[in-house]
Amino acid sequence: MQDIRLRTGTAVLLCISAFISIPGAAAACIWWIVFTGRFSRAQIRVIIPVAAMIAFFSIVLALTGGDGVSYFIRMMVIILIGFWMYAEQKSGEFLKLGVWLMGNHVGFELGMLADMGLQTMHLLVSDFNQIRIAETLKGIRPGWKTLVPAGFVLVNGALSRAENTAELMAVRGYRDGGMLCPEFTTPGRDILSSLSALCVLIIAFIPVSEFFILYR
Amino acid sequence: MRVTLNATCITREKWSLSAHGRFTEGIHLVSGDIGSGKTTLALILAGLLQPSAGTVDREHVSSLMVSFQFPEYHVTGSTVMDECTSWGIDPSATVKAANLSGKEDLSPLRLSRGELKRLHLACVMARDYDLLVLDEPFSSLDCREKERYCADISRRTKGITVIFTHEQMIFPRVDFIWEISGGVLHCRGRVPEALAGWEHAPQLVKQLLARGKIPHNITPADLLEAACRT
Repeated sequence: MQDIRLRTGTAVLLCISAFISIPGAAAACIWWIVFTGRFSRAQIRVIIPVAAMIAFFSIVLALTGGDGVSYFIRMMVIILIGFWMYAEQKSGEFLKLGVWLMGNHVGFELGMLADMGLQTMHLLVSDFNQIRIAETLKGIRPGWKTLVPAGFVLVNGALSRAENTAELMAVRGYRDGGMLCPEFTTPGRDILSSLSALCVLIIAFIPVSEFFILYR
Repeated sequence: MRVTLNATCITREKWSLSAHGRFTEGIHLVSGDIGSGKTTLALILAGLLQPSAGTVDREHVSSLMVSFQFPEYHVTGSTVMDECTSWGIDPSATVKAANLSGKEDLSPLRLSRGELKRLHLACVMARDYDLLVLDEPFSSLDCREKERYCADISRRTKGITVIFTHEQMIFPRVDFIWEISGGVLHCRGRVPEALAGWEHAPQLVKQLLARGKIPHNITPADLLEAACRT
């Protein structure tokens, strides 16, 4: 999807649908397969530990009397939507969206913050890969024990970068807000997939039995 | 012991780097502009990055180490002592070599960038490797530390040492000069013959060559000797 407004709106609708009910999660999953349905090898490497973590909490929920299976299915669909949103994101899009939504003051600030956050995410992934290589060179097998020092390096690096960025912006005279005239490209396919996401939300709200009643 | 790049090529969107050549035992200096692909080539040499085309053959290389430009990536210990131990070396000697006595119990991330770089380089230099790849080893170091570290590198007589840098002032003794120019790795040959064709040569070296004073090598002492030669 090229239009950030439709992409964000679609992601919100799909996440709400998946969270509300199992039919909503199933419909959102079908939407994901039809309109995206692709993973890079790097994404699969990240999804597996995330899935394992959700599975752990689902088991805990099931053991304490909750519906662990439902939780797992709904959360996994939300994760898939999140991965799709992250993979499609391009630098500067949140800034455009922020200004379009809330203007050149608050919108600019929030959009810039979101874009900087995303940029930090990319840098963290890159840093983590470098740390893994350095561990391999030292003969250290990556595992749970190595996550703590790696985490320290990542957090330390992110805080240091944030501090440097803030100082640089202050030195350059930035105070708040800015001027931007956002432009968007909206292909027909974006509108189609957004309308489909709306249908997914309707399915999530209407009980499945109602459909069968309509068929009768 | 050698590393051979066979028509190696790496491509990223509009950027590409081609490399063909052989790194034999000795100290190799690879220079090039920022963004020319020095770090990428360093990773390819060490086998940490697969080239888009071509192959890399490492013959009789049983141990290798890559030193990244940013020393933070190498940190796995919670204290300076732990960090040295994680490299499998004597912590006391390494802390002393890095001029960090009294800071043994500090977190490596609490050190300044220059101190951390010193610690990291001391850890790297404490062991012998068949292939040692140093990516911008002189960044974050002051002139005195650069000279001290260059002397350490110059003492390496075994194995292949490849230094990737855009340093223009202080160098160790080097045997071969390479440079990345126009997306291609060029071997300029053995020092001092290589100096004449070295595009990224420091201004001082260029001026000495223009006056017909060819330095024996590119260490500060060699350049001084050439400059004072009558």
